[in-house]
Amino acid sequence: MEALLHNLKLSWFSIKRAPLPYALTLLILSLGLGTFFSNATLYYWMNRDPIPQKSATLFMARINSTPGDCTDCFEPPRVMSYMDMQKMSGSGIPSAEAAMFSSDAYAKTVENQQATPSQVELRVTQRDFFKLFDVPFLHGETWPDNKARMEVVISKNTALKFFSRTDVVGQEMLIDDKLYKVIGVLDDWAMLPRLYDVNGRRSAEPAEDIYIPLETAYDLAIQSNTQNSYFDVDWDGNMATYPQMARTNFANQLQFWVQLDSPEKVQQYQQFLKNLVADEKAAGRHTRPESNKLDNILDVQKAMRATNEQLDAFALVASLFLLVCVVNASHLSLNRYMANQYEFSLRRALGASRWQLQGQILADVLFSSVLAFAAALLFAQLGLWTINSLLPSTRALAGWDWQMVAVMALFVVLISYLVTLYPALKTSFSPLNQQLKQ
Amino acid sequence: MSVHLIIKSLLRRKVVTALLLLQLAVTLGLVVNSLLLASAAKELVEQPTGLALEQILTVRVKPTSASMRNEPALSEVISRQLAAIRLIPGVEAAEYANQTPLRQGGSSSNLFETDRQDESNVDAVPYYNTGSQIFQVLGTQLIAGRELTDLDKGTQNIILTEKLAKQVFGEQNPIGKSTNQGTVVGVVSDFYSQRYATDQSYGAINFVPMARAEMGYQLMIRVAPGQSEAVRKQLTDVIRNAESEMDIGTVMRMDENRDEVFRAEIGLATLLAVLSGLMLLVAMISAYSHAHFHALQMQKEVGIKRALGASKARVLLDVLSESWLTTAIGAGFGILVCYGLNISLAKVISIPAVPVWLPLLTLVLLLLCVTLATWYPARIATRISPATATKTL
Repeated sequence: MEALLHNLKLSWFSIKRAPLPYALTLLILSLGLGTFFSNATLYYWMNRDPIPQKSATLFMARINSTPGDCTDCFEPPRVMSYMDMQKMSGSGIPSAEAAMFSSDAYAKTVENQQATPSQVELRVTQRDFFKLFDVPFLHGETWPDNKARMEVVISKNTALKFFSRTDVVGQEMLIDDKLYKVIGVLDDWAMLPRLYDVNGRRSAEPAEDIYIPLETAYDLAIQSNTQNSYFDVDWDGNMATYPQMARTNFANQLQFWVQLDSPEKVQQYQQFLKNLVADEKAAGRHTRPESNKLDNILDVQKAMRATNEQLDAFALVASLFLLVCVVNASHLSLNRYMANQYEFSLRRALGASRWQLQGQILADVLFSSVLAFAAALLFAQLGLWTINSLLPSTRALAGWDWQMVAVMALFVVLISYLVTLYPALKTSFSPLNQQLKQ
Repeated sequence: MSVHLIIKSLLRRKVVTALLLLQLAVTLGLVVNSLLLASAAKELVEQPTGLALEQILTVRVKPTSASMRNEPALSEVISRQLAAIRLIPGVEAAEYANQTPLRQGGSSSNLFETDRQDESNVDAVPYYNTGSQIFQVLGTQLIAGRELTDLDKGTQNIILTEKLAKQVFGEQNPIGKSTNQGTVVGVVSDFYSQRYATDQSYGAINFVPMARAEMGYQLMIRVAPGQSEAVRKQLTDVIRNAESEMDIGTVMRMDENRDEVFRAEIGLATLLAVLSGLMLLVAMISAYSHAHFHALQMQKEVGIKRALGASKARVLLDVLSESWLTTAIGAGFGILVCYGLNISLAKVISIPAVPVWLPLLTLVLLLLCVTLATWYPARIATRISPATATKTL
């Protein structure tokens, strides 16, 4: 301990002797690290596994059922129709399955009908949604089946916002002027990236406020606010006929998720889809080539082409920038050590072992690491702020948890050591005689 | 000092030189590619749109009561809002539409000539459900046929943009032709419609009312030159006074819509520009401290040179020419890096190929920065008097 303190004191003296070169080295190093960290933060949040305990079992299923005679159309549409959903569900193979889409509406409470309604984000889905993605309930539970019912599940924040408390099971709400009963309140929950719906590159958006049964949404003509693709739909726009039209036409808006607990189940489900398409083809439907997609939740961003290319490009550039800064800092610290060489050589001449010198260098690295880490965090914050304001879609990704901070700290020590490695070796192992002659 | 001697002195410090060259090479590569991306983004943003960007205001509105989002209440609300807006001084025309031009995506449908579906089908044509002042609002010119009037409300008559008409009907006269979306009665000049449509300037305009306003609708206002800010200030209140149960979005001028459409590209270009600036700064710091350190190390050598009669200018040139040489060599490798990086970036985003003159221009920029940074330490080196420098010999 005493040796460490002594070594730290020595580094401090050496810095004080030539503060400018040291400050510049530190500045360059922390600039590079800061830029790298800010990008790594976004990259980490964008590409992490949000549900590690079961990500291997979650899949999004699509079939290439779009009408039309197109022999080279191998990419199924991003969203499925109600008919597709009906055919793909009920096989008994998945342990949970749910179709879904996002929408929005205006909501208010029954007690406070005079108030201006506030906009809420809706997830229109089925009973297994909460089981699929491990969504925790605070009060109440999910719907007993997939039938239409005027019942909703709401998030904790929504409960607090509309009722100022969380235990609101049984309370009623007006959503787009229709009366619903609250049957469940979720605990705090978020999925980042929001892989259950990445369509429209909305994977950095927060989870929805209110969950509505799918059949109810079809009955009330609530539509997706992300993607609605109509294929060969002949409809006069009469709202009374919407439920019938949307259930029997290629009015595609659904994403369909299944939970397949083992590789055998995956295979079984794939076979099930294959048989399904064969049956459809035999019946004269499914005219496009067979191209079933069963994308794992971790591949879904790529499959839906929802990755953020700007971030990817910036990641490449930021890594190169870090390289430049490390090379540069290494170069500068070499200069610094060379300037101190006489002192080092003198120590060795007076009997200091090479290991003792290494100890001093390590103390020096430690000292620099602490300073560089603080400065790098500062620059990283600045960088995040800049990136967030230039690319608003990355705003939800800017937080740090203590694990990330720990990894970053370790990284800084490692890089600082790397930067001083060559200079340190050079100064401690060069021929004494020559050095002292100068 | 001859190049030969400088190279010899560089070779004596292999590691330092290698580090310096590597850093210069990567810097050049990055700066070139950043400039390239920035210029591509600028071109994208500044392309002609066919719209008077500073004279068109748009605002998205959505009735907060569900019944008002359906006909006949919807039409009634819209006409009340438009009548109120048209009374604002400075407003030349105002119209509603299901969507505005200059958007990322939006509502589109396929379009083909009725009996020639196979040859004439265009996949994604943005369509506009709107009213008769739309042509005034957008400022389109009539190319052929006639514009739609109030008499066309609810009919299947449509107007196509020029490029779309050419694509579907070729050299034939499109007027009177029948398509899956209605009968063509006119052709108007092109305007930037939807970024991800089959073509950005395709558009089909009809006067069929929107079936419902589940996603809200847009109000578009053409203002007299220089009046946009004055109108913008009153707009939200005027719309709210016409109908209070209304969710009113942010009023955007058309050029703001445009910046929104290209936001990701502009953002990345700006980020890279900032990073390029930092890189040049780092290169300058490195050149500065290298020259600074070197000047101290070379004290004796400089002293001897001065004692033997070298002028101050000569010594200055010596120090600078070493910087220039390393920069030039580093930049030489940098050209390789910049092509390599260009290829890797092209796999992720769309980036134009590197034109020959750009690396050269960047080299000049880099030389300029390095010279600037080396100047001060070089001056110090020349100031050392021969007597001091050679004292310890």
